[in-house]
Amino acid sequence: MASADQRAFLHNLRRALTGNAVNAPVPAGDPVDRQAGIYQRPTRVESRGREERLSLLDQVIEESGPINLKVTAHKDIQSVAMGIRRLAVESQPEWGDKKQVAAWNHPLIKALNLPEVLKETGIPVEFPIQTHAGDREKQRQWIFDAYIGITSADFCLADSATLVLKTRAGQDRSVSLVPSIHVAVIRLEQILGSLKELYFILDNDPEQVQEGLTPCLTFITGPSKTADIEATMVHGAHGPREVYLFVVTGE
Amino acid sequence: MKPNPEQYTATARTAVADPVLQKALAGLQDRFGRGTALAYQQLPEGPDLRHVAHDIRMDAIQHLDSLLDELAGNFRKNGGQVYFAQDAKDAVAYCLKVAQENNVKRVVKGKSMVTEEIRLNDALADAGIEALETDLGEYIIQLANEGPSHLIAPAVHKSKEDVGRLFTEKLGIDYTDDPPSLTRVARKALREKFLAADMGLSGCNLACAETGHITTVSNEGNIRMASTLPRIHMVFMGMERIAARLQDLDILLRLLCRGAAAQKLGTYVSHISGPASPDNLDGPEQLHLVILDNGRSKMLADPDFREMLCCIRCAACLNVCPVYGKIGGHSYGFAYSGPVGAVVTPLLIGINRAADLCQGETLCGACQNACPVNIDLPRMLLLLRAKLADGDEKWQVSRRSSLEKAAYQFWARIMQNRRTYDLAVDAAQLLQRLLPTNRGMLRFLPPPFNGWTKSRDMQPLAAETFAQWWKANQKGDAHGKR
Repeated sequence: MASADQRAFLHNLRRALTGNAVNAPVPAGDPVDRQAGIYQRPTRVESRGREERLSLLDQVIEESGPINLKVTAHKDIQSVAMGIRRLAVESQPEWGDKKQVAAWNHPLIKALNLPEVLKETGIPVEFPIQTHAGDREKQRQWIFDAYIGITSADFCLADSATLVLKTRAGQDRSVSLVPSIHVAVIRLEQILGSLKELYFILDNDPEQVQEGLTPCLTFITGPSKTADIEATMVHGAHGPREVYLFVVTGE
Repeated sequence: MKPNPEQYTATARTAVADPVLQKALAGLQDRFGRGTALAYQQLPEGPDLRHVAHDIRMDAIQHLDSLLDELAGNFRKNGGQVYFAQDAKDAVAYCLKVAQENNVKRVVKGKSMVTEEIRLNDALADAGIEALETDLGEYIIQLANEGPSHLIAPAVHKSKEDVGRLFTEKLGIDYTDDPPSLTRVARKALREKFLAADMGLSGCNLACAETGHITTVSNEGNIRMASTLPRIHMVFMGMERIAARLQDLDILLRLLCRGAAAQKLGTYVSHISGPASPDNLDGPEQLHLVILDNGRSKMLADPDFREMLCCIRCAACLNVCPVYGKIGGHSYGFAYSGPVGAVVTPLLIGINRAADLCQGETLCGACQNACPVNIDLPRMLLLLRAKLADGDEKWQVSRRSSLEKAAYQFWARIMQNRRTYDLAVDAAQLLQRLLPTNRGMLRFLPPPFNGWTKSRDMQPLAAETFAQWWKANQKGDAHGKR
């Protein structure tokens, strides 16, 4: 498997590492205790009660303020669909004047029944499902021309208000990137406490391990921003200018 | 941009006299320097997490050979291609080869210091390929034909009026100095470029051996664009940027984002592990990873400097350094500026050549306290100075000044003998009376010490030495109490 460039390169490193191993004046650092030390199992992720999950949602809302992520909680998906409808009507396209929506082919997003909900507004919704390369160009173009992209997320991290998205067939990474407005819809149960919990789950949960990280695992923490001109914060440098998170709380 | 650390003093002098730059640097350090310190304090584990991060990094560096092997194997298993480049020329040649084989005409780039290091843009331009920087700051300096002056805020030296004039001249817009309007102009211009590009280039904040993925962090979303839209994505990675296990990323990413911009997490963190596949068509058709040595294995081979490979290029040290805060990034004359540049640049391009860089730092230690992985930069700055003072065969350093060395040896001889020391002090006390003074301070010293008094006055030697005072005052009070 290893190519000639790799063999020569690694041989050189091995020589560099072993040539001076004795009497190194720089302490090698303490051995990293991954088993019992820094990566202990996070406490009771799965067995969290509703109260605990709602307090994680409160934390998401609190963290969302400074990064300009707009979070709303909804009892059911009908209420989410109405919220998206209002947003679609009130927002204007950034490029051109055509209004169209690209959405993930995902059970939760499908359940919103958006083509029906947006029908009378005249705003079309497409779910990019790509089965062959010919579709790809067409679907790409649809996403490029959409002013709103709607996705779900695999998880949301409470302590930084971060969305965690894997990429799968029909769940393109460009839907959360290219349109000017990104809408994400999740269920309350998908909120985790922290990055530590997330990596632990990705590393230990049998389903997650089985699926792997997918070609691109993306974290999104608020809308795109830059401060490159005189440190003035501007949203919408390259990615979405606005990000909305709808959380279905149930009951 | 060609490296020119030889111009350190001249560039620094210009920088210190530039009021716009001085204001920008002070603002930057005030914001990020304090912000980062506060962000470390607010870590759930407390600021000592930096020490754990140091252990994680050092552990990875000590096993770099096997981890890179593991990374390459897993990256290929995920469908990517890996190339190990010995030096800049090698890396550039691989990039050009892939570009030419795939008929690439237009390239979009995410911010990457390692591509600055290997001067990839020049090579692409020479090959007739348009390579466009897409980070707003990098885009600005590319339009202005300058080099970055900060690792994270590359256009910090430009005022909004500068940017307004630049955009008017280069992009043909009506003049404005409103940052949101200027950002929109760049957003629109670059969006079209992203959609039309054949290849996206990016750096790599960290790669993970266990999973075979690379991680990139950005606030603007340009790296996501460059890694998602073009049909080829090529990643350039300094060989040291590796994490052994997926869970190591928790601590490393949290510290990286706090060090870089006092954020809990950057807006976008992508873990990229493979190209598009038949059942997942979004993303590039080809994914390439170029792992670069370019002098790093020399640091690895020297236990004195191995620690420098822990660096994750967050620029936290720039944001607290009193020297960087005055002279700005261009003075360092290479891709890497500030304290990290003062150590890395000499090690990469030659210690003699970049001698001014390590001599210019103050050894105050602020950089180590700001470092998310707690690298002992002052220790390595001192070691570089020692190599310059004494010469060093392994690093091919020639002694910077034999006169200076002789003078210190002479001084050491005088210091070691009570009688010669007293004589020297008496002589100096006499001689200093001949020098001009101002409010009790010496205005000028004679050559070769005149450099010291170019911009400051010197405290004269006291009329009475401590030894004399002690002799006169210890009578009747053995404890020396007044």
